[in-house]
Amino acid sequence: MQKLGDFKLPHFFNYPPYFTLQPVRETREKQVQLWKDLILDYCRTQKIFIIGLEEEFPLFSNPVIERTLSHEAREAFFSALVSEGRAEWLDKGHRKCLILWHRIQDWAGIILNFVKDNGFEDSVMTVEEIRSGIESRGTELHGIDRTILMRALKILEQKGKLAIFKGTSADDEGVKFSV
Amino acid sequence: MRRRPGIGGLQTAAAARDQYRLLGENVAKLRTDLMKEQLATFRSQLEEFARKHKNDIRKNPAFRSQFHEMCAKVGVDPLASNKGFWAELLGIGDFYYELGVQIVEICLSTRPLNGGLIDLQELCKLLRQKRKHDREAVSEDDCLRAISKLKTLGSGFEVISAGKKKLVRSVPTELKKDHNEILELAQAQGYVTVDEVERRLSWTHGRAIDALDTLLDEGLAMIDDGHSDGKRRYWFPCVSSISSFGADS
Repeated sequence: MQKLGDFKLPHFFNYPPYFTLQPVRETREKQVQLWKDLILDYCRTQKIFIIGLEEEFPLFSNPVIERTLSHEAREAFFSALVSEGRAEWLDKGHRKCLILWHRIQDWAGIILNFVKDNGFEDSVMTVEEIRSGIESRGTELHGIDRTILMRALKILEQKGKLAIFKGTSADDEGVKFSV
Repeated sequence: MRRRPGIGGLQTAAAARDQYRLLGENVAKLRTDLMKEQLATFRSQLEEFARKHKNDIRKNPAFRSQFHEMCAKVGVDPLASNKGFWAELLGIGDFYYELGVQIVEICLSTRPLNGGLIDLQELCKLLRQKRKHDREAVSEDDCLRAISKLKTLGSGFEVISAGKKKLVRSVPTELKKDHNEILELAQAQGYVTVDEVERRLSWTHGRAIDALDTLLDEGLAMIDDGHSDGKRRYWFPCVSSISSFGADS
């Protein structure tokens, strides 16, 4: 089976017609489903948060069978992800996409667990510490996209689980947990 | 002595007729008894054979298929019912029943990918994957037998031939001769182009397009516009060994 680094690619990735958007509805639905699963799986294991539809991306082409996803196909797969809340367009032109293999509220839950696991219930942390500090190393939070993290934190702020306060620059925004 | 007609003569004739009839009946009865006895002997020997080779029949697909052939020759169908001697002795009724259920499962789960038409070899491969915990090996012959039993359900399970391949159909679509010919052609590379169909089958453009469009609509074909020569290819998952790829996850 073909691999991308340590990622095991599914069989369909080697079957040329899956790189052309299928005209028959039922066939297309199955095709879109397979691609959605593949994209989410790949992004989760590789910790990829933003995909540019017009940029190079390992899943967009398969040199072994000499096929590349058409723009139409890319747009269809990502629109399907967006409509399910597993992705969001970052621009009006639909060129950049934020991938949510966890939905924002799920990320909020992960943050809460992280806080409880480490006994940070009443602590203060900077946003940067959550993303790249020692404590988050080895957890899913490590390396999380800043936009996603901020939105998850805002959800928790609304629930009164924490307070976000501004520092002097964007880098040292801080969080005071009160779980 | 000349016999005269009279009451005595008539009675003698009637008595003789009766005796002939009795004798005839006896002979016939003897024959049926003999036949019954032979059949009983045969049956008991077949049973003994089955009992003796029970494990071979269960485990060895080639042996099993020969045993089925032997049974068929003498008019015994070990699969006819799940009760009765054969099933109890061999448990093969259960075996084929189970195979049948698994075949239905595989056909249903791969249907979105192959449109309900799957290569028999591929089906067997998936069946073996599914049954890897069972000790008994499964042959194509077993699959065919299990499928033939499914037919009685009237669910449209059928085995069709396209060229060298046997395909198992689990949707009630009737494949026309044209479609079958395309499937046969596609076996070489897994796909065909419109040009190829026209040239190899000496069809008009319209006929080729028409047949391919139908196969597309039925979910049996997928288009591929990604080749550098710019020609559209029609791929047929049912003749590629990857008809089942999404189903193994």
